[in-house]
Amino acid sequence: MKQRSFSPIAEGPIPLMAPAAVFLAGLFLVPLAYVGWMSVSQPALGLQNFGRLLHSGLFASVIYQTFRTAFLVTALALLFAYPLAYAAANGSKRFATFLLTVVALSFWTSYLVRTYAWMVILGNQGPVTALLTWLGWDPAPKLLFTTFSATLAMTHALIPFMTMSLFSVMKRIDPLHVRAAESLGASPLRAFVAVYLPLSAPGIVNGCTLVFITCLGFYVMPVLLGSPRDQMIAGIIGDQIEQTLDFGLGSAISIVLLGLTLAVYALYNRFFGLDRLWAGGGR
Amino acid sequence: MNPFLRALALLIAVFVAAPMFIVIPMSFSSAASLTFPPPGYTLANYINFFSDPNWTEPLVNSVIIGIGTVFVTLSLAIPASFALVRHIFLGRGLFNLLIMLPMIVPTIVMALGYYMYFGQLRLVQSYLGVILAHSCIAMPMATLILTAALKGFDQSVERAAMSLGASPFTTFRLVTFPILRPAFTVAGLFAFIASFDEAVIALFISGRDKATLPRQMFNAVRQEADPTISAASSFLFLLVLAGISIWLAPQFLRRRSGFTRQPLENGATNTAPAAS
Repeated sequence: MKQRSFSPIAEGPIPLMAPAAVFLAGLFLVPLAYVGWMSVSQPALGLQNFGRLLHSGLFASVIYQTFRTAFLVTALALLFAYPLAYAAANGSKRFATFLLTVVALSFWTSYLVRTYAWMVILGNQGPVTALLTWLGWDPAPKLLFTTFSATLAMTHALIPFMTMSLFSVMKRIDPLHVRAAESLGASPLRAFVAVYLPLSAPGIVNGCTLVFITCLGFYVMPVLLGSPRDQMIAGIIGDQIEQTLDFGLGSAISIVLLGLTLAVYALYNRFFGLDRLWAGGGR
Repeated sequence: MNPFLRALALLIAVFVAAPMFIVIPMSFSSAASLTFPPPGYTLANYINFFSDPNWTEPLVNSVIIGIGTVFVTLSLAIPASFALVRHIFLGRGLFNLLIMLPMIVPTIVMALGYYMYFGQLRLVQSYLGVILAHSCIAMPMATLILTAALKGFDQSVERAAMSLGASPFTTFRLVTFPILRPAFTVAGLFAFIASFDEAVIALFISGRDKATLPRQMFNAVRQEADPTISAASSFLFLLVLAGISIWLAPQFLRRRSGFTRQPLENGATNTAPAAS
């Protein structure tokens, strides 16, 4: 198949790949490189933007806030998604279809729709505040525009990603393995911990990597639902564009975010190979 | 399965689904603020959503930009995936990485890059600028879908057509294209949704003139002033509900009519996780 191939639409690979390569080079790589250039050339040539970040206590706390939120959201999403994916992979066909439909519904719904929904639910005149007041917590705590509301909304938004990553691995685990462990005397819990959990580990690693990376660069939900005092890294990049118009500093922060993201990918690639991350078990 | 586990999964499913349904009653609310339950009911939000130019223009812009993105993405991704699957060439791995890169780089970083770069090229606040940026964002997913379909494509049918005298173009038109049409459709649909749902790049480069629906919704949520956002949210949510119902309907019909095989199911559930 790979010798002289009978490709009906062109002779060699060059005319096929050239348009996409030129397009992405000119309209993706160049703007990206421009960010890198601006970070070391605005307002003057040199590394002073990065120096400012390095010595800024504020930036250190933004990085801390970003990582803390990303770890928390990843852990919570795994906690919620694991039972969901397990039930979808091992339950009856009808139950599995129901659960996967719910996950798909959430997956395809725009972040902005979900953000609006959380603003209603957690707002001052919303159902949660009313419930807390009714229970005697008066005045009810401020829920919206806190790290809590941003974390909750991001966890909720990313559960579908995690579930899909887990499910695509779990549905290929042969149930005979667990039954074999049980027939050899293992308790259901022991069989789960010693057999099922390790077999589902690739799904856990994939899901956690994807969710963690998405969290690092998340813009919409932290900006709209989070606390303005405890911003995440994407939010302060937005501030540089909209408010301070400091493109040199904004570019430097972007390069830091890009570096952190690439580091996570490199770590994954080192141990597992990048092409498995998006395969989703389909190939 | 353990009934405790079943109940737990059901509870989590409620947590996943329930919060989004609140947008439906809210869209009929007569209150200007985010009061739930609504003090009264009205259709004013929907009337506003479909008549106020502040909302209708972004909706139309989003559809135009989405369709443009589909055309640009497919015309680049289809040849690219043929090259990736059917040829071995120097730099193939690098080319593959280049196509996947938009999925790796955080969107906010690209938003800043496009804001500065398109500012130089005078592409800010234009359809073309947003379409070009969204096409980059849509490329990885479209290519993943197309290469997966192409790998399962039996090339002997093309050889048969050509050995019977068909020209390469006729072979593509009569053999290759019809067989791959479902994959082209799915890839196009993903490209449209990637553009239609994209908020961050559109927020910074579409500007007031060519604002997209996500941009308008972002600003409405931020300013908390315009209750029309509830109708917009409900409209988008109902679109998703309708789409999923259409996708599920054949499965239910098949079950009713006594067939038990569901050949599409695996492929269909696999496309969703990859959309990450």
